[in-house]
Amino acid sequence: MRFNEKELVFLSRQPSERAAELGMKGPKKGDVMKRRLVKLIVNFLFYFRTDEEEPIGALLLEQCRVEREDDLNFSIVFLDEAERKYVFECDSKEQCLEWIEAIIKASYEFMRKNLVFYRSEIQRLTGKDPLEQYGISDETRFQASSGLPPLPPPPT
Amino acid sequence: MKLNERSVAYYATCSSPPDKTGFLLKKGDRNPAYHRRWCVLKGNLLFYFEERESREPLGVIVLEGCTVELCDSESAEFAFAVRFECTRARVYKLAADGAVAMESWVKALSRASFDYMRLVVRELEYQLEEARQGATSPWAKGRGKRPLVHGEGVLSLGNLGKENGVSWNKPLGLANGVGEVGVSGMVWEGELDDGDGEIPPPIPPRRKTPGGSLESPVSPGTGCFSKLHDWYGKEVAELRVEWLQSQ
Repeated sequence: MRFNEKELVFLSRQPSERAAELGMKGPKKGDVMKRRLVKLIVNFLFYFRTDEEEPIGALLLEQCRVEREDDLNFSIVFLDEAERKYVFECDSKEQCLEWIEAIIKASYEFMRKNLVFYRSEIQRLTGKDPLEQYGISDETRFQASSGLPPLPPPPT
Repeated sequence: MKLNERSVAYYATCSSPPDKTGFLLKKGDRNPAYHRRWCVLKGNLLFYFEERESREPLGVIVLEGCTVELCDSESAEFAFAVRFECTRARVYKLAADGAVAMESWVKALSRASFDYMRLVVRELEYQLEEARQGATSPWAKGRGKRPLVHGEGVLSLGNLGKENGVSWNKPLGLANGVGEVGVSGMVWEGELDDGDGEIPPPIPPRRKTPGGSLESPVSPGTGCFSKLHDWYGKEVAELRVEWLQSQ
């Protein structure tokens, strides 16, 4: 699958929500924990060798689950490949919890859910749709789900 | 650079509802011909498939740090371009099958960025807080605590969608003088401190800071919105002049 790599690398140089040196272990058998500079920018987690400017890779943080493994470690698992875990090791319990929270909040879909919730709450409390004054009430991205049951997963 | 491609492709085809779908002509990566692609916009990602029934996307365009503009094309009508701000970046040329579709895609793509969504969420968070406190309008007297005043917002929500050809979704980058701004109709139109509260005050443009944080750098550190407005307003006015001169 093609992607706009140059632009993604450029994105990795932008101000981050959070950045730190963490231990990182890939999902393949035999992958070992290595020290990486990890940067959270919008809904991407970039990881760099600690002395390099270009990232080794990026993880899109959609359709994933973040879990606490133990005091210092958390993992990211993508829903389409739940057996493959990326594990990260922090320097402290606090740092671990902060990263978990940050990554959960980093997903576009997470923000969308919040928006839908806030919108309906505001409507309930004030009787007005808060998006109307901006002329964006009809935007698809701000709608609550259609109420239909989710589609079955595509055939593999 | 590696990317978790399989999972990204999964996001494209999973059951979460897309923001927009449709056929677009897309200018080839290597060859200059336009190809018809089934396009799926989800969040800040534009996926394109060979066919509507294809199980996997051919590719994805991450829509961060880009502007969307209408463009003239000799080979396609209703053409528009997605242009990135990094040096030697690609310009993605796309074309819709009619004026309505073109406008709809341009709007959708220029509002696709993560920051735009975050901005709207924060605005609603603020409004919800106000609503819960029983304030009568979003721009009530308790202005001291307004989180957006300290420079994190980027877009004047009231301004979006007004201008057709030049819509934009990237931070203004005032600090480094990046002049490519499509802020027509200006951000500060009327209603500010008169407290009629219909439209919340426009959000000051966001700056990119070199360090690792999204926090605003220098701001006058004042709780008085009109002072803050004047301060930002000067820079925006300069930027506007720059932009007008570049037209």
